[in-house]
Amino acid sequence: MNQLDSLNGKILVPRRRLLGGIAAGAAVSSLAMPHIARAAEPIRIGLLEAKQGPISQQAQYLQQGTFLALEQLNNELLGQPAEIVWDDEISPQAAGQNAVQLIEQNKVVALLGGALSNFALAEEAIAGQYKIPFIVNNGAAEDITGAKCNPYTFRLQPPVPVQAAAMMPFLEHIGKRWYFLSASYAFGQDIADSFKALLKTAGGVIVGDDQVPVGTADYSAFILKIRDAKPDLVIGGLTSGDLSNFLKQWNDFGMRGKIPFTEIAVGDPDLWAVGKENVSGIYTTLWWYKDPNNSPADKAFADAYQKKYNRPAADKAWMGWYTAKIMFQAINAAKSTKADAIVEALQNWHEIDGGLNVHFNKWNNQLEHRFLIVGVKKNIPDQWDYFDVLASVPGSPEAMTAAFGTAADSVCHMTAL
Amino acid sequence: MLDMMVMQAGNGLALGFLYVLIALGLSIIFGLLGIVNFAHGVFFALGAYFSVTMFGVMGWWGVPVAMVIVTIIGMLTEFLLIRRLYDKDPLVSLIVTFAFSLLAEAVIRTIWGPEGQPFNAPDALSNVIIFGPFVMATYRLAVMLLAMVILASLWAFLNYTKFGRILRAGSRDPGMVGLLGINLPRVLTGTFGLGCLLAAIAGVLAAPLWTVTPSMGTAAIMPAFVIVTIGGLGSYMGAVVAGLLVGLVQSLTIQFYPEASAAAMYVLMALILLVRPRGLFGEQWERFE
Repeated sequence: MNQLDSLNGKILVPRRRLLGGIAAGAAVSSLAMPHIARAAEPIRIGLLEAKQGPISQQAQYLQQGTFLALEQLNNELLGQPAEIVWDDEISPQAAGQNAVQLIEQNKVVALLGGALSNFALAEEAIAGQYKIPFIVNNGAAEDITGAKCNPYTFRLQPPVPVQAAAMMPFLEHIGKRWYFLSASYAFGQDIADSFKALLKTAGGVIVGDDQVPVGTADYSAFILKIRDAKPDLVIGGLTSGDLSNFLKQWNDFGMRGKIPFTEIAVGDPDLWAVGKENVSGIYTTLWWYKDPNNSPADKAFADAYQKKYNRPAADKAWMGWYTAKIMFQAINAAKSTKADAIVEALQNWHEIDGGLNVHFNKWNNQLEHRFLIVGVKKNIPDQWDYFDVLASVPGSPEAMTAAFGTAADSVCHMTAL
Repeated sequence: MLDMMVMQAGNGLALGFLYVLIALGLSIIFGLLGIVNFAHGVFFALGAYFSVTMFGVMGWWGVPVAMVIVTIIGMLTEFLLIRRLYDKDPLVSLIVTFAFSLLAEAVIRTIWGPEGQPFNAPDALSNVIIFGPFVMATYRLAVMLLAMVILASLWAFLNYTKFGRILRAGSRDPGMVGLLGINLPRVLTGTFGLGCLLAAIAGVLAAPLWTVTPSMGTAAIMPAFVIVTIGGLGSYMGAVVAGLLVGLVQSLTIQFYPEASAAAMYVLMALILLVRPRGLFGEQWERFE
């Protein structure tokens, strides 16, 4: 074929050459006008939430809340278009690899996520290594803002020991013979260790202590052991879908209401999945859509979520939204996408909620925020409205300091930026 | 302690019967089609999901309808995808069905969402039977009895019906069955449908026991593969015995060493394969040697 063909008076350029020319032109023009090219590039935030596995039912709500937070800002940060790049968490190793991919290939300026504590710990290591601001929005294991802390990683969930201690006044009167049923990973072990320490202080007795592999579908054999041990209380440390399976089978064996069950840091979706006929227990949760003390911003979020998804906002949706909101406010406050500036803005971020100063502790980047002790209603009116709020804790600034501890109590050794 | 062990054994048998139903479909499909169907768990999950959906539409009458729907989906899958794998290396069928399982799980997640779907046993079966120190959830006992009836019916179907005999003959020498003038492709479609029906029945029975989630098929497929391997690939009796054995071993491991409950069936498999490399009831099949 000739380089130029003429047909009906029109000059035809070979298609490959034409495309090559366009590409070369685009490259040259981008070199000539770097500011315009950069302005067209959106600011990217990386989101790491599981798309499969037992935690995915919580992760869906975390993801929805995160995206809603950016939509409320018209998908803009620093006056530029912004977008969230969502990647999976299949295992701790894969979660770490995906974090690297988001940083190196997608050029994200910050990370959000960590649906499970062991995923969050893997991602935290990457955030520290690559010096990328990261807020863990679901992991509750103590190590995240404890022994494994780094200056780039912040965390929303109160650590397991804080939530366990807040729960104790509601459990002590039930009895002192406790059975532990916890998942064999960081979160489950933290729960078991924390409550064992509290039980020891209270002079109680451990009548059973089973570690359950993550992803266990059938709990009947565990339930038979618990029934045989006749404890006063069962302390659960199961995660998401596993908790749903357990509660369902707990009811099947006629145990619901006979032996009280409790767990901390549960998600509304875990209990909604079980069905209102099967649920019982006392739990801690960070947020409840019907909490009368919700702030106006929280209420606006709940309305926006209800409008968009035609169902009430789960606590996990709020956690995704709240964490993203903090990150976006920090980026805007920093007036920059530079990591150190965002980290500094996060450390200075604060707001007042329920008379408490919500902020990140400087010594471990742990958010100090109130959370709720909730009990399942005796008569659940519909498929969503499961809880009565028993308490909002900590109830005062002094109680908050006591609950979250001080720099002297922390095992986190924060390095310089 | 003896009471607990007997109780755990009874409970393990109930779980084992559910495993048998899942594994049997897998075994039948492998036996006749020579396909290592990694997507078998998908049909288990679909059985549970369609029973939830059809129950909402038609009440309990919707449950058998759900099984029929899954069987039809299975037959369509065989017609559109699986039959293209018959003359391929077994590794290809493993990879393709694995990819199909991922795709199908994503489709389930898109249609029904990743959150669990609540589904309960009928009210008449939502209680427990207590006999001295022994306790058993009535629904689990019903699952066990129903599974026995299904297994007996299937055995009679395979041994005493014309289609059953064709199916068994085809599992040994599909070429000869074709030469006898039997429409083998139609038999293969029917067989795959039968395997999917068994998975769907297991999914329907599991829906009130386990939370209905997109990944429930993944949780079911590994025990099913272990059972088929322990029992001997393609062996009916092997799948039954191995399923019950795995249920028993899991329950008893939870009693004594709960941390190892997930690993127990793999240890059992390793031990049995050391002694009998073809599994408990595995035979030498010329077409697979």
